[in-house]
Amino acid sequence: MYTTKWIAAAAVGALLIAGQALAADKKVVAVSIPAADHGWTAGIVYHAQAAAKEINAAFPNVEVIVKTSPSASAQVSALEDLSAGRKLDALVILPYTSEELTTPVKAVKDAGTFITVVDRGLNDSSIQDLYLAGDNIAVGRNTAKFLIDRLEGKGNLVVLRGIPTVIDDERIKGFQDAIQGTDLKVLDIQYANWNSDEAFKLMQDYLAKYPQIDAVWANDDDMLLGVLEAVKQSGRKDIKLALGGNGMKDIVKKVIDGDAMTPVETPYPPAMIKTAIYMTVANIVGQAPVRGTVKLDAPLITQENAKEYYFPDSPF
Amino acid sequence: MSSVLRMEREGEIDMAAEPLRHSILRAEGVSKQYGSVTVLSDVTLDILPGEIHAIIGENGAGKSTFMRLLSGYIEPTAGTLALNGEHVRFAKPEQAQDAGIALVHQEILLAEALTVAENLFLGRELMRNGVVDDRTMLRLATEKLAELGCLVSPNALVRNIALADRQLVQIARALLDDYRIVIFDEPTAVLAGDEVERLLAIILQLKKQGAAVLYISHRLDEVQRLADKVTVLRDGKKIGTYPGRTLTQMDMARLMVGRDLAALYPEKRTKAAGEAMLTVRDLSVPGFAKNVSFQVHKSEILGFAGMIGAGRTELFEGIMGLRPATGTIELEGKPINIRSPRAVLDAGIGYLTEDRKGKGLLLHERLAPNLTLSALARFHPGIFLRRSREQDALRAAVEQYDIRLKSFGVKAGQLSGGNQQKLLLAKVLLITPSVVVIDEPTRGIDIANKAQIYAFIQGLVAEGKACIVISSEMQELIGLCDRILVMRQGRLRGEVSGEAMTEHNVALLATSDAAADGNVGGTK
Amino acid sequence: MTIMASSTAIRPEREWNIGWTDVGPFVALIVLMLIGFLINPDFLSATNLANVITRSAFIAIIAVGATFVISSGGLDLSVGSMAAFITGITILFMNRMAAEWGMMAIPAGMMVAIVVGFLCGLMNGLIVTIGRIEPFIATLGTMGIFRALITYMSDGGSIPIDRSLRDAYRPVYFGTLAGIPLPIIISVAVAAVASFILYKMKYGRKCAAVGANEDVARYSGISIIKTRTIAYAIQGTCVAVAAICYVPRLGAATPTTGVLWELQVITAVVIGGTALRGGKGHVWGTVAGAVILELIANLMVLSDFVSEYLVAGVQGVIIIIAMLIQRFSK
Repeated sequence: MYTTKWIAAAAVGALLIAGQALAADKKVVAVSIPAADHGWTAGIVYHAQAAAKEINAAFPNVEVIVKTSPSASAQVSALEDLSAGRKLDALVILPYTSEELTTPVKAVKDAGTFITVVDRGLNDSSIQDLYLAGDNIAVGRNTAKFLIDRLEGKGNLVVLRGIPTVIDDERIKGFQDAIQGTDLKVLDIQYANWNSDEAFKLMQDYLAKYPQIDAVWANDDDMLLGVLEAVKQSGRKDIKLALGGNGMKDIVKKVIDGDAMTPVETPYPPAMIKTAIYMTVANIVGQAPVRGTVKLDAPLITQENAKEYYFPDSPF
Repeated sequence: MSSVLRMEREGEIDMAAEPLRHSILRAEGVSKQYGSVTVLSDVTLDILPGEIHAIIGENGAGKSTFMRLLSGYIEPTAGTLALNGEHVRFAKPEQAQDAGIALVHQEILLAEALTVAENLFLGRELMRNGVVDDRTMLRLATEKLAELGCLVSPNALVRNIALADRQLVQIARALLDDYRIVIFDEPTAVLAGDEVERLLAIILQLKKQGAAVLYISHRLDEVQRLADKVTVLRDGKKIGTYPGRTLTQMDMARLMVGRDLAALYPEKRTKAAGEAMLTVRDLSVPGFAKNVSFQVHKSEILGFAGMIGAGRTELFEGIMGLRPATGTIELEGKPINIRSPRAVLDAGIGYLTEDRKGKGLLLHERLAPNLTLSALARFHPGIFLRRSREQDALRAAVEQYDIRLKSFGVKAGQLSGGNQQKLLLAKVLLITPSVVVIDEPTRGIDIANKAQIYAFIQGLVAEGKACIVISSEMQELIGLCDRILVMRQGRLRGEVSGEAMTEHNVALLATSDAAADGNVGGTK
Repeated sequence: MTIMASSTAIRPEREWNIGWTDVGPFVALIVLMLIGFLINPDFLSATNLANVITRSAFIAIIAVGATFVISSGGLDLSVGSMAAFITGITILFMNRMAAEWGMMAIPAGMMVAIVVGFLCGLMNGLIVTIGRIEPFIATLGTMGIFRALITYMSDGGSIPIDRSLRDAYRPVYFGTLAGIPLPIIISVAVAAVASFILYKMKYGRKCAAVGANEDVARYSGISIIKTRTIAYAIQGTCVAVAAICYVPRLGAATPTTGVLWELQVITAVVIGGTALRGGKGHVWGTVAGAVILELIANLMVLSDFVSEYLVAGVQGVIIIIAMLIQRFSK
């Protein structure tokens, strides 16, 4: 009994080694991203998998492996698993948190792997070969500019914040800096954790508290959905504009359809993971130089250019 | 003048007549009041070294209050305590402990998930160099347990040791520090047979070593055997202190109750038992009972004797469907499915558990829901329960079983032990069983309630029901039953009836193989 | 044999034996409302109160179910995920049937929700009772399963309800009957049915007995397995009712639907006066508890005293104070 087990184990081990030997002549690009737990990360997963499929088909000598992790610690373990048995040629990572992932990513880098960091930066920027992110400050600033323009520089605003993180802080900062010096007044600002239900409740409370609200900014489209529902229920006519952010397909659709309350949108497209993967592969396959920092702009999506940002098949 | 009054006066010890020996602890006119209620009033008592002093009284007589006063759990509202002639005050139990007073609690208060040694030193662990000194504690624990004749390993988990051993561990814990006075609060309530004997031997040894022992018990036979002096409390007052050997149990009972009691046990039924009511064949409860077969007849009280751990309770839990069991039971010729407790109850077998607080009653619930819990079907004619019917049932039960309560709104936990037992009896009888099994009918119950419960049991068989009484008090079985079956190590070892029902015969069957398995000269 | 006749008259049991546990949550509710009014008079406006009570409906309905589970000595951590899962299934079913059945897809979907909820609850119950697994662990497991299922069904995005059904279904959350929002009426109805079951029927007694002392219940011929399993099935059904009310609010199920509801539900039950270790359940207290939770959140937004960063902390403090008051006024 005991010996049979050993023989079986040895056989399985031999197979594994053989499998790796076969794969050894391929360039391996690992993609480590958070698991889909809300709309935006679902978009990340969708676009990462799409990129992997396209690249694996197009370049037979490149293998893109996508690994999703439901938490920071799971992501650390995933990195260990990915780099344990084989040499990674490149790692594309969207870190859960900056602090916890810095050291593990550095360990991978030290083994000679090309590192691409997406969206959330690591604490030590010398680790990354390529950094690609959206511009969160621009998300807030561009939205604010549009509001100033539309409301002719004056009016009452309410704002919904997301989960307390750098992304949320930057968006709010960009927004507040931009409206400084105008007569736009932020009546209230509270957290709704990028959650539609909480945004719905918060908006109801805002409506009860303030008799005159000219515009609402939810810094994420999941929250905007809740806001719109609450406004609709209240039957209030004073709210002229309700804006979100991130480029959710339902909201982009509204822009395309010329919705009066939500005429514009700012992208923070999860498709950026695809950009990052393609650029990394370009470096490996075509030796095209990509090292450096890429900041995707957050241009206003309007009815004119909305089609460009519309992915009807994406879950986001 | 009634005989009780005469006895109260004439039997008393004249304290002044023995001035030679010095009392180690003296309570002088102590009283305890809670608001307007006086629970202990002007009690004066001397406790002497090398003497066993029993304190007896009905529930509520003030015994536990007195104990708690002596061991520092409460302070008297009037009166003083003197230790070796010096005035002392105990504001905390620790102070009494430091003064050499050890209290062995009635309930077993041990942490089941810890080892014996850990329990012994719980809260007063020995330290060396800032860490717990396990080795020394283990050594001391081993010594202490050996002294008490307790054979369990100090490393055993308390959860895994027998009830009797837990009691010994508890005693060891109380005796760990230096002690001069040891107070036992109902130490034998959870023990049986030889375990009781072992404990009594320990107490006698303590006495021999010169300790003063204060002994509280409901078991008057033990008091009679042990006590040098007996102090009787009634309604918070001291009735008197009497020399132990001269009092009979009946005397003690009279002094406690304060009036003449008729016989404790009702007169036995004289007519022959009726046809078979319950037939049990080859009943086995894995780990507890093996191939037990017996019959109980209409209008018969059948006793089950045996040591703790003999498997009596488990046997009946098996019959009741409360434990996995194999075998067949028939009630008046009809087989009963023993898989489901509900089916057994509905068939007409009622069971009063020995653990009325843990398994019998919902202590935080009011009386009516407790009363009707196993017979709910009778109180909902449609889909809704009828509260009024429940209240009527409660009123009837209170009247019929003389349950003493202040208000119908009290919770079951607020009743005294005896009244809880009566409520439990009423609860079981609500399903109108034809066979009633009563496990330890009078455990922790005072003598007046005891007599009542015996009378109720007699009443049940007079109605034609069959009764099975499981008891660790042999006196009780002999006084009450028509026949006694004795169990040992999960098997039925014999039967005694009629003249052969003596403590000697029962004990023989219960403890040793010396008696040939089978009947011990029964007269049928 | 002398048996003393009881001479003193025994006081009858009062018909309504009201203790602090019974009225506590309602007193707290009233105090909160007064504080709210002092802080911001808009607080007591009909619209605000209607909004707050309406949105407490989901938690209230689920918490009524949880009152059974907790009363019987169990615990269910899976309710939030289960709500999301049922919402997802219901929307998918309605969307599928919308083309063939038209508006009839809505009531049919509701029936599906109830059946699915009942089965989910039953599954939880059987794992706990027959499987003899600690409720905490068992439902932690199913919590993960339901959450994964809704994430899978939605590809991590959202499952929106078909536009053709949207408007017809909308009144279930936003509609009113005699001026009272429908979700309020539904939760009152659920609580009423629950209080009948818990206080007037045999099952309620059994539930409380099992929770108060399993042994006593067993010795009284009550089946622990049956009683507990039914409690979980009731819980599942309540989650389904909540899900039915939830769908029209935002018209979509997402992986974040119902996140942390289980904690709010348990808090509501405990604030309502039901002991977490089991025993007597307080259905109406639970409902009050759910409203209190929502009121506190509302109050935080309507007042300007508390920094947005500290809102959660202040809520925690208020809940602890409420529990301390209950604890020490016994």
